[in-house]
Amino acid sequence: MVNRTTTDLGEIPMLLRGDPVQLRGWLADFRARRGLVCVAVIVAGAALYGAAMGCWRAPEQALYTAIKFPLVLLATTVGNALLNGVLAPLLGLQINFRQSTLAILMSQTIAVTILAAFSPLVFFTVWNLPPMATPEARAGAFAFLQVTQVLAIAFAGTTANVHLFRLLRSWGSSASVARNVLVAWLAGNLLLGTQLTWILRPFFGSPHLAVQFLRADALRGNFFESVAYSITYLFR
Amino acid sequence: MPESTPITPPPFPPNYNQSHEEPLTDAERAPIRGFSGTIEALLRRPRGLLNALAQEEGNGMLVILVLAASACALLYGLVVGAFSGGVQYYAAPLKIAGGLLVSAALCLPSLYVFGCLSGSTARIRDAVRMLAGTLALALILLFSFAPVAWVFSQSTNSVGVMGLFHVVFWLVAISFGGRFLLRGMRRAGARSEGAFYVWLVLFVLVSLQMATALRPIVGTAPMWLPKEKKFFMAHWAASFEEPTKPGETRPQQ
Repeated sequence: MVNRTTTDLGEIPMLLRGDPVQLRGWLADFRARRGLVCVAVIVAGAALYGAAMGCWRAPEQALYTAIKFPLVLLATTVGNALLNGVLAPLLGLQINFRQSTLAILMSQTIAVTILAAFSPLVFFTVWNLPPMATPEARAGAFAFLQVTQVLAIAFAGTTANVHLFRLLRSWGSSASVARNVLVAWLAGNLLLGTQLTWILRPFFGSPHLAVQFLRADALRGNFFESVAYSITYLFR
Repeated sequence: MPESTPITPPPFPPNYNQSHEEPLTDAERAPIRGFSGTIEALLRRPRGLLNALAQEEGNGMLVILVLAASACALLYGLVVGAFSGGVQYYAAPLKIAGGLLVSAALCLPSLYVFGCLSGSTARIRDAVRMLAGTLALALILLFSFAPVAWVFSQSTNSVGVMGLFHVVFWLVAISFGGRFLLRGMRRAGARSEGAFYVWLVLFVLVSLQMATALRPIVGTAPMWLPKEKKFFMAHWAASFEEPTKPGETRPQQ
């Protein structure tokens, strides 16, 4: 059983270890304080990583991204809580709304803790890059930073979802049910998460555009439209 | 909405999160005392040192390991600086020792997280101590390469070639240091090693980039630190294009 004497923040390493038995115990014994600690970890960790991501453009951009990145993660969790709670039993996994929400909150906490641990390295990478406005930056540094971010976020997301998958399986479901639920949750989160990211852009910032909290046309278009436009532009 | 289902998790298995290592022998359990005892244990009975590091006495050993690592880095830096001489006699040791300590600090959070992801129960304090042991072991080994490095530094004029030698020595040294880290994490209950290999690659990349950010270390430059930001691969390519020490020519065949 989870040691009651450990502080709630001290339980984060246990989440990272990802043992399904411990995770189930942790969720079964969930208290409001634990939820608050998870939210605090997501806010602090994502803010740190967001600041590292935005600081290449300008200090103001670092501050804005530090505010917006945790907002995207928490808004995605809250916005999809109902959908995720409904999808799980429909796909054969008998867990309740509270359990599904907490499982996703837990996986977000794991991902953000990993990202927070990477943030000193991202700050170091940015410190080593030429300033964003220089031609060298436009040539390769921007692409390098983007690839680095994608790798870090992909690693954190994959690890968190592997832990989540193990937890779903430990709830007595077959591998296929656990996989279906996970894929359904990921699809829903991807849909909402990418759109929220689009609305709250910029995160990196662009040397050609002013540093802003939100673009003037924040609510115009969507992420998928933009990707489709880029693809058609490439093949035109 | 589905109804709430009470869930009672099963109890933990009795050996949950226990180390998979063999029990310590009597020789490994022998007390470790003082500076030389700690270094001797690091080289000859690392499991005994890891065991001692996990105890309360580990704080004193941490200081010894950091001091040993710093001293070896400074001494090896002296040999690196001997290639160009002048200001590099003190700039290179300071940059190498400082750069490695900062690189270790930058990589410490990811080491701790990778440890947790592998199932290790090491706390951040344990991660710091293991990292200090890793650095100390790697730098002692690097220092033992110093005579070889010095001989080469006196017989080549190429900054690129000399830099390559130092990188190779560093890779050999850190691979031995990594073994200490792996052993420590296994002792702390880590079930897999993949994450630590990834971490070691990350640490090597950070240390190489740090060396580039603090350049010149092997060659010379009019300034203490560079104004231009460069990726380490680009810097190496440039070092090979500029084949010799300033003012010297290639040796005749």
